Amino acid sequence: MREILFVAFSLFTIGAASGVFLARNPVYSAFSLILSFFGLSGLYLLWGSTFMAMIQILIYTGAIVVLFVFVVMLLNLQVNRENPSNLLTLGISAGAVWFFSLILLRVLTRAIPNKIPEIPTDQLRTISKLLFTRYLWPFEVLSLFLLVMIIAIFAITRTQEIPHGGEQR
Amino acid sequence: MNFPTSLTYWSHFVAVAMFALGLLGFLLRKNTIVVLMCIELMLNAVNLLLIETSMRTNTPDGIILVVFVVTVAAAEVAVGLGIVLNLYRLKGSVNLDHFKSLQG
Repeated sequence: MREILFVAFSLFTIGAASGVFLARNPVYSAFSLILSFFGLSGLYLLWGSTFMAMIQILIYTGAIVVLFVFVVMLLNLQVNRENPSNLLTLGISAGAVWFFSLILLRVLTRAIPNKIPEIPTDQLRTISKLLFTRYLWPFEVLSLFLLVMIIAIFAITRTQEIPHGGEQR
Repeated sequence: MNFPTSLTYWSHFVAVAMFALGLLGFLLRKNTIVVLMCIELMLNAVNLLLIETSMRTNTPDGIILVVFVVTVAAAEVAVGLGIVLNLYRLKGSVNLDHFKSLQG
């Protein structure tokens, strides 16, 4: 049962991920991204990480992809008819990525130890306790980072139109 | 050919395949928004690997790292799309080939 679910979710995720890359229209890419995130959420559930499955759906599909769809619809782009890349570029890139993936997979299967879990570690209590003890400083730095990002977004997207004779810059 | 049959191996395979798809899209697509989506795809491949390893080796540190990654990814997308909006306002296009000069 576990294996069947794993295969189903994996195929779903990879298929949707290739849809992101292959779709001509950015809106289809965004919806494909949503499907891929749902598949990933199923994989997280399969590994027993209920918290991260929830976060995946809430934050990724609820916030990030909605932002993508919003921008795509705001810009109102027409689908470009031009050929995005020739066959040689595609072949070279695919070959390079394939080679890179093989090396990565080899390294991963060697580097990560193989152990069977006894108790689930994905309890909210464990995570929050760690977040406020061992990872307190990274957590605080993250809050500062978010503040900087808010200021940066305001600075970037502010409209720069200055009325003549106006005092504000 | 003898394929490895463990679920761990195939989970790594899924993560690496997803990362490869994201990398291909990042290298080949011209639309800036789709390139940002492909970056998200790569981040999610890493998240999958982290969560799988964390649950298997019974260490919660990987999940903490994933929480950080999700936060940074959300901020990165917001800033990236803000830049895309501004570029569209400047150039009237989101094609990466049209952004050639550093000088605005």
